Amino acid sequence: MPRLYLSGNEAIAYGLIQAGVRLITGYPGTPSSEIIPAAQKIVKEREITSFIDWAINEKVAYEIAHSVSLAGIKSAVTMKQVGLNVAMDPFMNSAYIGTEGGMVVVSVDDPGPHSSQTEQDSRFFAMAAKIPVFDISNVREAYEFARKAISLSQEYKIPVMLRSSTRVSHGRADVEIDEQFSIETLHPHFKTLKDWDKKLFRYASTPKGRLSLHKELNEKIEKIRLTNRPSFFFSGDMLILSSGAVFSYIYELIEEHGLENRVTLAKIDMPYPLGNLEVSSFKRVITIEETYPVIELQLNTEGRRNGIVPSEGELTPDVCEKIFVKLNLIEPKKTIHVPPLKRPSLCPGCGHRIGLFAVKKVFGKKAIYAGDIGCYTLALNFGVTDTILCMGASISFGFGFKKAYQLAGKDQDVVSIIGDSTFFHTGIQPLLDAVHYKIPFLTVILDNKTVAMTGNQKTLSDNVSSSGESVTPIEIESVIKGLGLEFLKVLDPYDYTESVRVLKKARTFIREKSLPAVVIFRHLCVNTKEGISSNPKYSVLLKKALCKGCKLCILEFECPAIHFNEKENSVEIDYTLCIGCGCCVHVCPTKAFTMDKIEEKKE
Amino acid sequence: MKLVVLGKGGQGVIFFSRMIAQAAIKKGLSVCSTEIKGMAKKGGTVEIQMKIGEGLCGLVKRGNADMVILLSNDLIDYAMTFGDRIFSFTEEDIKAALSSVSMRQVNTFLLGVFVKKTSLFKCEDFSFLDEDNKKSFIKGCEYVQS
Ligand code: SF4
Ligand code: SF4
Ligand code: SF4
Repeated sequence: MPRLYLSGNEAIAYGLIQAGVRLITGYPGTPSSEIIPAAQKIVKEREITSFIDWAINEKVAYEIAHSVSLAGIKSAVTMKQVGLNVAMDPFMNSAYIGTEGGMVVVSVDDPGPHSSQTEQDSRFFAMAAKIPVFDISNVREAYEFARKAISLSQEYKIPVMLRSSTRVSHGRADVEIDEQFSIETLHPHFKTLKDWDKKLFRYASTPKGRLSLHKELNEKIEKIRLTNRPSFFFSGDMLILSSGAVFSYIYELIEEHGLENRVTLAKIDMPYPLGNLEVSSFKRVITIEETYPVIELQLNTEGRRNGIVPSEGELTPDVCEKIFVKLNLIEPKKTIHVPPLKRPSLCPGCGHRIGLFAVKKVFGKKAIYAGDIGCYTLALNFGVTDTILCMGASISFGFGFKKAYQLAGKDQDVVSIIGDSTFFHTGIQPLLDAVHYKIPFLTVILDNKTVAMTGNQKTLSDNVSSSGESVTPIEIESVIKGLGLEFLKVLDPYDYTESVRVLKKARTFIREKSLPAVVIFRHLCVNTKEGISSNPKYSVLLKKALCKGCKLCILEFECPAIHFNEKENSVEIDYTLCIGCGCCVHVCPTKAFTMDKIEEKKE
Repeated sequence: MKLVVLGKGGQGVIFFSRMIAQAAIKKGLSVCSTEIKGMAKKGGTVEIQMKIGEGLCGLVKRGNADMVILLSNDLIDYAMTFGDRIFSFTEEDIKAALSSVSMRQVNTFLLGVFVKKTSLFKCEDFSFLDEDNKKSFIKGCEYVQS
């Protein structure tokens, strides 16, 4: 068997395809986004018939995967932990309905959080839905558990969650991969089932039927509970229970500090549903798990609730060591001060920066800027984002803020800022409401034709899918036109003068007509090959003599290629980062930046 | 062996860590690592922690790294939190790389410099490189010897 240096996400993809999964869908979200591209590569290389591609949001993805499973084909759906919130409705219901072909829900958590809004624990949601969950502790296990999850789902006809985390999904290890892939033909069956009448009662169940489905679900969970046994390591009279990435850290720490005779470590592969565990022979029982007390609550042990385990933050090996100190297993160590890293900014030349700079110019600092999830969240750094809640909330917030001031009879400019993929994900619905109720605020849609934040996945605007199929492109403006919106303009934010003119018109329209308006800023993400090669390129210079050192271009614009030289009290351009976009020329009040076109824009 | 590779997006942090991992795997050693990439792609910090021939996970505790490979000198204070044995390329190394090989091969040239200067690995461990990269790798090794 070949040994490959795989990421956790790649290992999950291998495991799923090898277990016979032939449909995988999902919505990109760090740290889950690499599973689908990895699976696409695996099936392409082996010419395995399948559908592996993105869906418009997690709810839609979940429903597609579930129906495929009901037709008897093994399926999987991938998302990050907050994506699971979007899929919650079908997730909860599918536990009752059950599955036919095995179905795995991959949800990747982000303790820390490194790149998420919450530190929520997907295992908790699995418990709430009564769905069994495997918790992956390292990359090699990712491959193994993906296959186990499918077979458990297949056996009990229940969706199974595969829970990963940033450290596993974005970890790498050498993994032995079995090169045997079954290439069986697919046989979907649904209405052709022999016992269709009985099945219909399940698939189209009324509330009365749901009661008996709930009973069935409880019976399934009870059976699974009885088979769920932890494995034990070492032999001390203190029992530590753990699952997921943290298990690996604890295991290593016990070995490192020679605690093999003081601690027994129980590894729980499936944190829900947990079987009864005989623990009376141990002096103390403590659960160390990320990020919510799932095992701790089920087995009623020490842990978070008595303050031994921190209630927030990632349980890194350094944090686990501190827990060991609290448990009197080791002596305290000197704490190492970790200096903060530089905060992230939008890329040099990003179209979002100049577009939002124009918005700020026209609507001013008093306007309320309701932001959303995407690269443009970083406009927070230069004052064009006041709120970030969750996917699509910018537009509902625009509605709500405007309404709040309207109710009080007060004027207030409100601007919602949302990216193209976020708009399609969950931004369309609140815009429908805004149009219907005639709420006068501006929605700015930043269309860069890619899901930039999570690694440049394709959006609906493309005519070829990420797996290379021909697809129908969908333009945002044609969707919005259908809503009957009166003010809709599409423009390139690099044309700054035109942007300011259009935004002023939008402001007048909103105030005079008391109706919503939409401006679409379209400029390709310069972090893609296509984007950078078609981007205008100028030779941009800074005339030191004209720079007054006001820092406006730093604080209000924040291009990472512009540095401030304190000694000279003026800025300088870092040409290793500058892409010559020329946007800064519009920013400086004293015209210190100049530009000359050096290359014709390639068509 | 516990390693940390640290730098900014576009500096070859991921490339370095993968080459080292592949060399270790070729030698029959186990490798695990963890990658943390900052939110911004350009200029954001990229951090790889790695264990070779030991452990279940790639995470390295503060103060515990056998070596930190630092590709961006302004991260020195942060790098020191992992350990005090820091390896970084000198300006001469980078100049030599830029003048000896094409832009695309700069990283493999520097890999050769690293291998020769640290002797954690042997040149033969990198025999899996393709022809062009092997040439610039050897140039990097020879540069250190001369
Ligand atoms: S990745 Fe693209 S959209 Fe995101 S900040 Fe960079 S240029 Fe802008
Ligand atoms: S370049 Fe212009 S905006 Fe920037 S600090 Fe100098 S004067 Fe101010
Ligand atoms: S031209 Fe100006 S705005 Fe564009 S990348 Fe260079 S410094 Fe930044």
